[in-house]
Amino acid sequence: MSQPNSDHVQDHTDVPSDPALRVKALESLLVEKGLVDPAALDVLVDAFENKVGPRNGTQVVARAWVDSDYKQRLLDDGTTAIAEFGYSGGQGEKLTVVENTSSVHNVIVCTLCSCYPWPVLGLPPVWYKSFAFRSRTVIDPRGVLSEMGLDLPTDVDVRVWDSNAASRYFVLPERPEGTESLSETDLAALVTRDSMIGVAKVAVPSVGGVA
Amino acid sequence: MNGIHDMGGMQGLGEIGYRENDTGFHEAWEARLFALVRALRTGSLRTGIEGIPAPDYLRMGYYERWYTAFVARIIERGIVTSAELDSGRAEPASAKATPELTPETASAYLSVTPKEERDIELAPQFRVGESVAGRNMNPTTHTRMPRYTRGKTGIVERDRGIFDLPDSELSSGEPKPQHVYLVRFTGQELWGDAAPANDSVYIDMWEGYLEPA
Repeated sequence: MSQPNSDHVQDHTDVPSDPALRVKALESLLVEKGLVDPAALDVLVDAFENKVGPRNGTQVVARAWVDSDYKQRLLDDGTTAIAEFGYSGGQGEKLTVVENTSSVHNVIVCTLCSCYPWPVLGLPPVWYKSFAFRSRTVIDPRGVLSEMGLDLPTDVDVRVWDSNAASRYFVLPERPEGTESLSETDLAALVTRDSMIGVAKVAVPSVGGVA
Repeated sequence: MNGIHDMGGMQGLGEIGYRENDTGFHEAWEARLFALVRALRTGSLRTGIEGIPAPDYLRMGYYERWYTAFVARIIERGIVTSAELDSGRAEPASAKATPELTPETASAYLSVTPKEERDIELAPQFRVGESVAGRNMNPTTHTRMPRYTRGKTGIVERDRGIFDLPDSELSSGEPKPQHVYLVRFTGQELWGDAAPANDSVYIDMWEGYLEPA
């Protein structure tokens, strides 16, 4: 399958329409030309599928919940405070952390494309890139959140952050009640990716503690 | 450009398709393409994606748009020819390159944070707390100013520092460093009295997008 086409110039109708085949053909061509090393691609894919992801963000959140000095540093300068964990990289130059409380709810979006804080959350989920989420979150945030299962009381302020420039946003979710005795590690396990985008809250752990 | 990509505030664009624990890639080829684009380092595909005609943009999936913009970019840069793409084979006479990115350098490359902020002195035109309005502009080329902010009044919340203006038409191809401001617009200013009084949208605006209000 590495060379689906023969040597002679193909009629355009012969170009595979299946995107998987087209990308495979493109990779083969770029490898043949010496432009990419497939093993380097493997490293990139593995990093974004398994390493750079929301687990990074959950650790930052848990630290902020247990360490008020860290939380203040995080809110003052997200990039520097997140770098304390060693998290850096693309889409991470200006990380701005916004805090959800009982009276303020923040949600992030990119209306123009798909901008997202890679160093702490990895790549955005597919729904974040949907036309509906991109278009409606700025005009009807409460409706969008409600459809996603989060109904906010009318007296809660809603702040939408449109990631159009260099800034990338990261929501510090509200710490659930009943978690006073949990360790930082246990707290990190409670935090979901969607709570750090601001489309969900961190759920109160069920009786009996963290699974 | 008043393009289809500038979607903020539109309605009727389908379903969000939300599911918990959704991933960034739904297909293996999407991850492969993402890696190819990163490995070749041909720069942001943003303007190429925005240039896809609206009917095609709406029909394509996210990574199909990437594919389209990426292929156009590497042909434009002379990295591959159309004939090579059609045949899937390198032209026999073409020189063989050495990959820039190796498995050894790939990990280090991933942790490099890009530096777009400019380290220069420039007097800001606006101050935190000041009232500003989005200019009424209809550039036919790339801009980061969503149209929902045009003519709307907001408050400067923060000075983000100095960045080059990405708008090619305004900058005529020259980097035009200027202050970027975080501006808060109320939901009612943007969408009218029916919007809840305690909703707001925060967005970064280059100085050239703003005028005193």
